[in-house]
Amino acid sequence: MMPDHWGYVLAAYGLSAAALLGYWRHLARRRRALDARLRSPRAAAPGKAAIPKKAAIR
Amino acid sequence: MSARATRILGGLALLALAVGLAAGFGYAPREAVQGNVQRIMYIHVPAVLTAYLAFGLVLVGSIGALATGRAGWDRLAGAAAELGVLFTGVTIVSGSIWGKPTWGTWWTWDARLTSTAVLFLVYVGYLLLRAMVDEPERRARIAAVVGIVGAANIPIVHFSVKWWRALHQPSTILGPEPSPIAAPIAAALFVNWVAFTLLFLYLLLRRVELARLEDAWVPETRR
Repeated sequence: MMPDHWGYVLAAYGLSAAALLGYWRHLARRRRALDARLRSPRAAAPGKAAIPKKAAIR
Repeated sequence: MSARATRILGGLALLALAVGLAAGFGYAPREAVQGNVQRIMYIHVPAVLTAYLAFGLVLVGSIGALATGRAGWDRLAGAAAELGVLFTGVTIVSGSIWGKPTWGTWWTWDARLTSTAVLFLVYVGYLLLRAMVDEPERRARIAAVVGIVGAANIPIVHFSVKWWRALHQPSTILGPEPSPIAAPIAAALFVNWVAFTLLFLYLLLRRVELARLEDAWVPETRR
């Protein structure tokens, strides 16, 4: 029978958790940045700083 | 789906992951041959099944985008591809860590490992391609073609252990024969698979919603 190798088990679980948590935090950060942009006074006036993309394409 | 429903799904995913951990470390017994290192299976196998689901959704979204031209399908494909790459990355890293004590090496150019690495690189390329094309309709068309062609890799990865001589063990689930896994180990694996699927759906909903909001607005400099 093989020895337990708990270090490998912890490394696999730790790295997987770090990757998944890191991606979740990345999404949350992007969402907060987007919300802040949309709430800013410049973005509130669509004609000046941010406009719906469809209008921009036309 | 509403923000509240997404949050509830996130809570369910978190709960399921906690139950999965308890099942993997508490309920499932120590494996007779490999010992406790076999517990890596409870993340390795759910991660690859989730990656298959993600890339399957890339295929569905790509076909939908080409057939209808609707941006929602393209957003689904792009979000699912990002998550597919994430879960394939988890599969490769956890598999490599599992491989070292059991096979004596972090990596070998075995059919299953090589085809999984190719799958990973194809979808990394898909994401790079999406990032390089600015014009949304052109991006959706090109990405859809790559998303459909790239899906051909999924059966190659899954059946590689049957088609070629491989160091990687044959499929013990999703195979043609009844699974030889002991019931407590299969139960722990099933709970973790459900947890990973719930986590995937939660992250997918958040990513699609973010893409929808980002698509709706452009900064002044892009006008």
